[in-house]
This record gives sequence, C-alpha cells and structure tokens, in this order.
Amino acid sequence: MSSWRRLPVASSQWSPMIDDLTVWTAIALIAGVTLASRLAGSFLMSHVDAPARVERFLDGLSVAVIAALVASILAQNGLREAAAVALAVLVMLRSANATWAMVAGMAVAALWTHLLSM
Amino acid sequence: MDGIARGLRRLFPIAVFVVPFGIAFGAAAIEAGLTLVQAVAMSVLVFSGAAQFAALDFWPGPIAFGSLALVVLALNARHIIMGAALSPWINKLSIGRRIVVLTLLSDPNFADSQPAFKAGERDIGILLGGGLILWVNWIIGTAVGAAAGSLIGDPARFGVDVVMACFFAAVVAGQCRNRVMILPALVSAAIAVMSLPWMPAGWNVILAALAGGLVAMVAHDR
Repeated sequence: MSSWRRLPVASSQWSPMIDDLTVWTAIALIAGVTLASRLAGSFLMSHVDAPARVERFLDGLSVAVIAALVASILAQNGLREAAAVALAVLVMLRSANATWAMVAGMAVAALWTHLLSM
Repeated sequence: MDGIARGLRRLFPIAVFVVPFGIAFGAAAIEAGLTLVQAVAMSVLVFSGAAQFAALDFWPGPIAFGSLALVVLALNARHIIMGAALSPWINKLSIGRRIVVLTLLSDPNFADSQPAFKAGERDIGILLGGGLILWVNWIIGTAVGAAAGSLIGDPARFGVDVVMACFFAAVVAGQCRNRVMILPALVSAAIAVMSLPWMPAGWNVILAALAGGLVAMVAHDR
C-alpha cells in the first residue's frame, strides 16, 4: 500500500508489475542469501580439524581477499583512484596508521576532482 | 562488553564515511522506485552495499528472483571466505554468539579484526562492535539519502568515494609488513584484475583469494 501513497498519481515510473509483496519478498531473499554467506564460512570450517597447513591457507586467504577487492576497484576506476590508493599505501607503510592513510587518499581524490573542475 | 566498545571506537573513523555511501544508496533506492520504509528496511536487514546497489538493477520488476539470488551470492561470496578465515577464533564461541557476531560481518570490520586476532587479541567483541557502528551508520545514511538524497551533492567532490579502497589498501600494506604475505597479495591482485573481464564481478575476487591462499600455503612449505 505504501507505494500507492508515495508515488504521485501521474508518475510514469510506476510499474504495475511490482507490488508490495514482491518487493518485500525480494528484500527477504537478498537478506537471506547475504546472511547465509556470512554464516557459511565459519560453519563449513567447524567440520574441519585445521592443521597448520590449513591455517596458513586461511592466513593467505584473508590478505588475498582484501587485496583482490582493492585490485578489482582499481581496475574498474581511473588514475584518480589509483593515485589515492598509492598514497594511502605509502602513508600506511611509513606511519602504520590506517586512518591517516585513508585521510591522505581522500585528500588526493578531492584535490584531483577539484583541479579538474576548475 | 569491553571488546564491543573497543570495536566501536576502532571502526568509528571508517564508519563516519559509511554515511555518505548510505546516502547514495538511499537516494538511488528512491529513484529505482522503493519507498523510504523499504529502502531503510533493506539496509537494516541486508547491510551489504554491493548487494543492495546491484539489487536495485532489478527494479522496477518483474523481479527475476533466480538471477537476483545468484547476483547477491556472487557479490557476497567473499563473506564465506572471511568467515572461514575467522573460524580459528570465532568457532570457539557458542553457536548462538557466533551467529550474532557473524550477522554483522562486513569488509571493514573483517579487515580490522582479523589482523588483531592474529596479533593476539582474544576478545571477539571487537568484530561485533565494529560491525555495529558500521551497520548503524549505514542505516542512518540510507534514511537521510532516501528522505533528502537529491538535495545532497556528489560525494566524489570530497573524495569520499575512495575511502574504502584506501582503507583496504592500507590494511593489506600493513599485513605485508610480514613478508610472507607479499606474494599471496600480489598474486591475488593480479588474478582479480585478469579474471575481471570474463567472470561476473564478485566471483573474480573469490578465485583470486583462493589462489592467494594456495600461494601462502605452498610458499611456506618450500
């Protein structure tokens, strides 16, 4: 019902194909799949008796998954993001402080956008 | 409890920047045809930026539930890897507590907590506290964006859009101080980039992470 209330009468965006029940079902589906993904890793591992090699695998995995995220983001963006990330890495290696690294990266990106829009 | 409070504090500087992402999502959700209540409910129940933004592509319907589930799974499959990587510590909790803590697992609190556990931290609360502050700010941002998104400018102007990439890169750089982690990180990054054109986004991260894990295991054996 809320979609009726919200949308103006003449809205061209309103689609007769999507009602409230469909929307809430979709939200429940997304929430369910996401929750399952969060729980699955721990429960899968509870049946594995982790020897030292598996632990080294998990260690590598945890660095690698974050490295893969950064690489994917950079591959889908431009020089501006690459420059920001590069400075963030340098600051981290010098200061060992992730917050400063973040602020430095943001400053590069903001400056870049600012200079290009002048 | 002490750990939860410390987690809140540790993640606060990052969580502040989750608000503009939430605003962007709230505004996009309204544009896609969701109501304010639906947009906020989605952020409360799902708490996953990548999955939520991707889901909006399915609006307005008719919604293809099968593909929607697959897309969300692909984008969130990295949670499975993070959950497995946390299992040496998290599986010592009772099942009930494990579920509570993992419900708020996301990239930033994983990136913060896993190295801490590795370094000897024994209070799993830091993961939960970090998740809580991220979750609350994600919800606040969504509500603001859904209510007033069009009034707020482009976050790229302030460099906010690069925050997560910079934070994750800093975490990797910090972990690579331990030299055995440099090779797995490099291999993973290379595979993620190379496989991106021919794999659905999300799966490339899984492939890359598994390769990085194997490299870490084999490199140590030699």
